[in-house]
Amino acid sequence: MAGIFDFAPAIVLLPFLSFLIAVGTALSGRDLLPKGGAIPGIAATAGSLVLSIAMAATVAGGEVYDATIYTWAVGAVPGAEAPLELTFGVLVDPLSSMMLVIVTLVALLVHVFSLGYMNDDGQTGLPRYYAGLGLFTASMLGFVVADNLLMAFMFFELVGLCSYLLIGFHFREPGPPSAAKKAFLVTRFGDYFFLIGVVAVFATFGTAQFAGTEAAPGFPALAEQALNGEFAANTFLGLGTQAWFTVVGLLVLGGVVGKSAQFPLHTWLPDAMEGPTPVSALIHAATMVAAGVYLVARMYGFYAVSPTALGVIALVGGFTALFAGTMGLVKRELKQVLAYSTISQYGYMMLALGAGGYVAATFHLLTHAFFKALLFLGAGSVILAMHHNENMWDMGGLKDKMPVTYYSFLAGSLALAGIFPFAGFWSKDEILFETLIHGLDGAPLLLLGYVFGLLAVPVTAFYTFRMVFLTFHGEARTAEAEDPVPVRWNVKGPLAVLGVLAAGAGVVNLAPVKYLTGLEVDFLHSWLDGGFTNLTVHHYAEIDPYSSAYIGGEVTTVLLGAAVSLGLALLGLALAYRLYAVPEPVEHTDKLGAAKDLLYDNYYQDEYQVYLANRVVLPLARAADTFDQSVVDGTVNAVSSVSLFSGRRVRRIQTGVVSNYAALVTLGLTVLLVLFGVLGGWLL
Amino acid sequence: MFAPPEAYLVLSAAVFCIGVFGLLTRKNALLFLMSVELMLNAANINLVAFSFYWGNVTGQTFSLFTMALAAAEVAIGIGIILVLYRNFKDIDVTEATTMRW
Repeated sequence: MAGIFDFAPAIVLLPFLSFLIAVGTALSGRDLLPKGGAIPGIAATAGSLVLSIAMAATVAGGEVYDATIYTWAVGAVPGAEAPLELTFGVLVDPLSSMMLVIVTLVALLVHVFSLGYMNDDGQTGLPRYYAGLGLFTASMLGFVVADNLLMAFMFFELVGLCSYLLIGFHFREPGPPSAAKKAFLVTRFGDYFFLIGVVAVFATFGTAQFAGTEAAPGFPALAEQALNGEFAANTFLGLGTQAWFTVVGLLVLGGVVGKSAQFPLHTWLPDAMEGPTPVSALIHAATMVAAGVYLVARMYGFYAVSPTALGVIALVGGFTALFAGTMGLVKRELKQVLAYSTISQYGYMMLALGAGGYVAATFHLLTHAFFKALLFLGAGSVILAMHHNENMWDMGGLKDKMPVTYYSFLAGSLALAGIFPFAGFWSKDEILFETLIHGLDGAPLLLLGYVFGLLAVPVTAFYTFRMVFLTFHGEARTAEAEDPVPVRWNVKGPLAVLGVLAAGAGVVNLAPVKYLTGLEVDFLHSWLDGGFTNLTVHHYAEIDPYSSAYIGGEVTTVLLGAAVSLGLALLGLALAYRLYAVPEPVEHTDKLGAAKDLLYDNYYQDEYQVYLANRVVLPLARAADTFDQSVVDGTVNAVSSVSLFSGRRVRRIQTGVVSNYAALVTLGLTVLLVLFGVLGGWLL
Repeated sequence: MFAPPEAYLVLSAAVFCIGVFGLLTRKNALLFLMSVELMLNAANINLVAFSFYWGNVTGQTFSLFTMALAAAEVAIGIGIILVLYRNFKDIDVTEATTMRW
């Protein structure tokens, strides 16, 4: 009797199959499939969604699964009795089954939405597009179920590749290929550190399993044992165990910072908006950028034992949340605002992870996936209606003409801004609450992160509703906005589904209600507390370095934190309402003067990175090239010219006269005989 | 009744040296071939002599093989000399130096 878990690989393989079908269609060059190949993709993601839900239901029944599917390399390690195994495996536990449902659901909705956005719009190259989506979905799901760090890394790179391919989908225009290259290179820069981190994990623990078994624990558990002195981990660079774990954690964090677009490697994400909007929704909002955060959550047991790494995560996250939010304040394009808001929201998740709020981060990951995918799809609907004009200043008054888009977009915006009772309020509030209570107990870094996060709240609310009011309210400012292209069911359907989720997904974890009433309504908390003993919430709470302190009791702190963040969000909303919810809005951000230019030019982040590349990296590369050309190649060339020269001289001995050879042979034989005679002692 | 072993060795060494001398001093390819035959036969004398001395026929059998080998070698050698003549109108071995560097 095959259990449901035996079908776990199928979740990954189904979208891969749709990828193969789409590639086959694209290669055949004929229009073999209806809808340009969308149907296999929809069928595959729907199948994966059904399987994922079945997995989640089984996991809810208390079962978990961790199995090695394929061992592709085994090698003996000097000084260790167990061989080093490189494997592909499947790990289904509460965290991964939740992520599976998110990814497959969003992927399915994006596939359906693509019918409206790509097919109905008469785009060409559709098989290529659906091949990209299929491969992306397969790789992302592979990453989610990965049971060891190396496999996670491989799929991490694959999603990066798909991101590159899909950003550059319109490769005949100048912008997308360049944006695709930038996205690829910037994330690769982070992944370079991740790769070193993977090797370091193998070298330190001899395994890269996340969960492992009783007999052979995964590396987070081994790290914990090593700190308790029960396991001898290999450390390098002369560092102590604790310091070395911090170094390894920060190396892996490099990949996370690149993929989840955290400061300072966030610059690729706004440019990635050159890709088709459904791609932005799927890859650059809901799933791929979540990969970084998911990775930290996946190996949270490893980070939890390193207070320094946690502090760095919290600080980077908090800073990014505020920093990216301010840039979103002044953007003119719809998708640019959303891109900066995505960076900012992932900053919140990192802040939560760094602050010991594992559940809060996962919760925000869940709600953000829904409301940000919704916002991107809503933006896609607007962009479609506006003939691919993304400038918000050319819109206005779309509220009455596109009611489904408007109301779902509004639900997503309220969630993003963190307005009670939409999903984003609950998750963001929990992040800030966890940061606050852990920070109050003698962790000033977290309090700093809390201040950043709190300041980002009104900023978020302001740019979100500036976007909403400029797009949907007031008078139509152009002929296109006057008469938008109607969108069909395949656009409205996904919007409606996500709209409901964005409004209601908060019920999965009503932590503040629990504190106030004592009801057990923090379902996500108990959900993540199941599964492998080493990967549960209360285990993480035991090993992380934080404890809690409150301002005048738990309930007061909950109420105070929620009131402050809600008040700030409403403040931002009110300001946006005051400035932009008028028939003829003007660019109030111009009043900021030079500050606006600074924000609009992204704090000159691109400029300084290009400067670094041109002035530091390029001369270094030139110097290395010169070294290579002169010293390395010089040595090789010298060896060859010595051989050539001596060969030219020595070949003179080959006269071609047989008698000379005979003489030489005879002479040589005689010399040998004499030599043997002298050394052998029977001559002289 | 038989000569002492040293006699065979001296004979064999003498024949061998004659062969080497011929090889080093002559230019005619046919004389080359003959000199090589002399050297081979010097080895044969040794084989037979030691075989007789030890009362073991292995050496004598082996000398038969050597003779067959010598015959084959002569066949090839004559063939080479014929080709040499065809190409250079001469069988002087010092003339055929076109294959060197």
